[in-house]
Amino acid sequence: MNHLGFKIDKVKIASFDFTCCEGCQLQLANKESTLPAFLGLLDIRNFREISSERYDDYDIALIEGSITRSDEIERLKAIRAQAKVLVAFGSCACFGGVNSLKNKIPGEEAVRGVYGDKTVQTMPSTKISDIVPVDLMIPGCPVSKAEVERIIVGVVTRAPNNLPKYPVCVDCKQKLNTCLFDLGEVCLGPVTKAGCDAVCPTGKTVCLGCRGPADDMNFPSFIQIVKEKGLSLDEMHEKLAFYNGFADFLDHES
Amino acid sequence: MIYKVISKTEFRKFIDALVKHNTAYGPRAVDTGKDGKPIYQFMPVTSADEIDFDYTVTHSSAKHLFLPYRDELSRFRFNDEDWEQEVRYEAPPLILIGLRPCDINAINILDEVMLHGPYPSPYYLARRKNTFIIGMDHLPLPDCFCKSMNRHTVNHGFNLFCSDIGDKYYLSINSSKAYTFLKEFMLEEPSYEDNCLLIERRKTIKQSFTTNIEVTGLPVFLDIEFDSPIWQKWGDKCLSCGSCAMVCPTCYCYSVEERFDVDLKGSSRQNHLYSCNLIDFAQVAGGHNFRPRNGDRLKYRYYHHYRGFAANDNQQICVGCNRCGRACLADINPKDVINDLRLERESCMICVSPSPDRT
Amino acid sequence: MHDMRFTLPGQDLNREPFALKPPDFQKKCEVMITDRGYKCRLTNIVTISSQEKLFLLRIINPQERELFNFRPGQFLMLEVPGYGEAPISISSDNSNHEFIEICIRKAGHVTSAMFEAKQGAVVSIRGPFGTAFPMEAMEGSNVLLVAGGLGIAPVRAPLYWIGNHRDRYKNVYLLYGAKEPSQLLFSYQFEEWKKVSKVELMTIVENPDASWAGRTGMITELFNDFSFDAKKTFAIVCGPPVMFKFVCNYLDGKGIPMNRMFVSLERRMHCGMGKCCRCMVGSTFTCLDGPVFDYWSVMNLKEAI
Repeated sequence: MNHLGFKIDKVKIASFDFTCCEGCQLQLANKESTLPAFLGLLDIRNFREISSERYDDYDIALIEGSITRSDEIERLKAIRAQAKVLVAFGSCACFGGVNSLKNKIPGEEAVRGVYGDKTVQTMPSTKISDIVPVDLMIPGCPVSKAEVERIIVGVVTRAPNNLPKYPVCVDCKQKLNTCLFDLGEVCLGPVTKAGCDAVCPTGKTVCLGCRGPADDMNFPSFIQIVKEKGLSLDEMHEKLAFYNGFADFLDHES
Repeated sequence: MIYKVISKTEFRKFIDALVKHNTAYGPRAVDTGKDGKPIYQFMPVTSADEIDFDYTVTHSSAKHLFLPYRDELSRFRFNDEDWEQEVRYEAPPLILIGLRPCDINAINILDEVMLHGPYPSPYYLARRKNTFIIGMDHLPLPDCFCKSMNRHTVNHGFNLFCSDIGDKYYLSINSSKAYTFLKEFMLEEPSYEDNCLLIERRKTIKQSFTTNIEVTGLPVFLDIEFDSPIWQKWGDKCLSCGSCAMVCPTCYCYSVEERFDVDLKGSSRQNHLYSCNLIDFAQVAGGHNFRPRNGDRLKYRYYHHYRGFAANDNQQICVGCNRCGRACLADINPKDVINDLRLERESCMICVSPSPDRT
Repeated sequence: MHDMRFTLPGQDLNREPFALKPPDFQKKCEVMITDRGYKCRLTNIVTISSQEKLFLLRIINPQERELFNFRPGQFLMLEVPGYGEAPISISSDNSNHEFIEICIRKAGHVTSAMFEAKQGAVVSIRGPFGTAFPMEAMEGSNVLLVAGGLGIAPVRAPLYWIGNHRDRYKNVYLLYGAKEPSQLLFSYQFEEWKKVSKVELMTIVENPDASWAGRTGMITELFNDFSFDAKKTFAIVCGPPVMFKFVCNYLDGKGIPMNRMFVSLERRMHCGMGKCCRCMVGSTFTCLDGPVFDYWSVMNLKEAI
């Protein structure tokens, strides 16, 4: 394409998984209606969900998963050295994700619970920005394919697309959903970054904050609201800790 | 305007015929709240049985049927270095049943903004022209304050308006389209008794308001209170979540976004209903934010609703439906904010030294 | 049995005459295709500093070219298909119908796309929008133009106007300040403004480099260099809000009435037509009631600066 007189090239992309379920990467192979067009934007260099070919020259690296082993740190640093744009892909990479639940219990206990007496090397689950600088974050559990498309198109057309800054409530109200607080539940929609199209509240499931905090969200007021409505603060804390996206706020609070 | 009465059973037949042959929206219970009361929304309906004619109030307004939350304004198609723009106004005919007087007044205010300004919007016009509005009166809820805003009655902006006078509706027919449809049904001329019942109904409605807000002189008042600490106080509660603006029948602020198609062969320009409470509403290129704090943005919303519009169009944009107050998790509502503002000033008045005695 | 009788007739606006005509943004009419602009070709792109480029736009359709008449101070909405729209002040000579000049700094999506665009690319514009500097009211008086940084872009339009009607104005001063000498834009036109337009040009920079031999400091320093009859002077002040606050307060002290000082406010408009409310300051739309305001009005606008 030669829009505006400048040529738009495919981007050399690679995708890597660390400690995760690979569900976010699988999302990329979903949404068949736009899949051929989407793949048309990409020169896939390394992406085991899509192609068996492996090359080491890529510009964009998608990182799925959190870091839970020391060898992952070295691998991540090597990817960082090669990639021009490093993308934290999915909630695990962005915040530590569900994996971080194990950080709450002693490491040996976690290993014993899952692997029994087998020796397994592990460390607390860490988000990737604690280890290397991250250029872009695409949160979500799993990521939204529509949002990934938007962001990749932005990279390709040299017009970086930002995530929304506002909370999920905006999208939720636009779906004409009944507010889950009105049904007596604790929903993290008011403090969580929008962009998911409020899929969970639309399905009558509370938001668990997989996209992390909205910009400049009002945490003290949110706690106050949960209290005033007579809802469970423990439940709220449990939800806030689920994807580890609100770690900064929870640390601050205690 | 032509006045007729119709029995409720005949009215249902009329509505049934209309909704069977057209796209129609009416109030339906979508959930039951934790207080056990139904929660209503304007939803698509295909028969009169689906409509809750005696509903209380819908959670969201019907605004999005005129100003969709996300609307494609135009499409661009690229061909090498050139491109073509395609602008379409798609508005299939639509029937809207059960709007309250405040809702219809809200649409009249939107008409003012969208059609009577210097740049009339064809997108809005297309939808407005193709929408058939059937209004219905109701007894106010405890928190309705449309009477304070003088929006509890309406005399234009609808095709048909129904006042509940017992087992009949008193109809105000305001368009030939409505009359043409109604002719096929059993209408009666209003009797002396019907007229009395209508007046009685109106009186009951008027006397049933329990929430009142003093809005006299509010524009000037807001100017004086621009630096009042109460804005920070309410701002500290505000989640900046935009719920108030989404459910509001008159909030119309939007943002325009443009998106490439994934195949890069074209792009779509869309407007997206926004809210002045959202953090980046007043942010400019380069990052400067003119209203960085919650309190600033909350204040701005009140200014737009109670001051700005009054100054521009000689009317306040708020219709007093209190949907924002019900939707707000932090319990911010116009009554409390405005009363707080007044209280702040009045308590301050006490400190002012009394006028000198006349001698 | 009732089938057709109860079907609402639809009205298709796409077939109305207005939908076929190009929009005239200066004329009030019943409906307008507010979303369609005038297609323009980028006939020339000049890099005028490390951060700014000057674009020459030519409206492709002659009929639309005729419709686009602006007054100094007005702005246009620049549409770069795929990237979006941005409000840009017009910095060209309004008597020149052939080309429109806009000066852009790379700041957001749209401007970044413009920086990538090549000569010959096709974009579109809507407008002109907003209020203008009251050039006629200034006739017979001195005109003091004060520009800071990129503020020179909107000031360039009244400068051209004055050049075209020089005999109608008394003394004309242009005070122009920038952070660094390399950021003084349009330096290639300085001589033309001085000699042809007979404008007294004074420049100043905050951070001089080795090559700089002129004045150093804040723009208000320049007021020490000359005197003017405040009672018979109009002022046009464009620049960052901090600057025009300082300058206007200074000029107020000098005795220029507040309603004779004009400033241009910056907001991120999304529509340019008084609907999206993004540019609202208090109850005022920057796009309809501005961007040009007299300083008295600005003083009365809460949060304006």
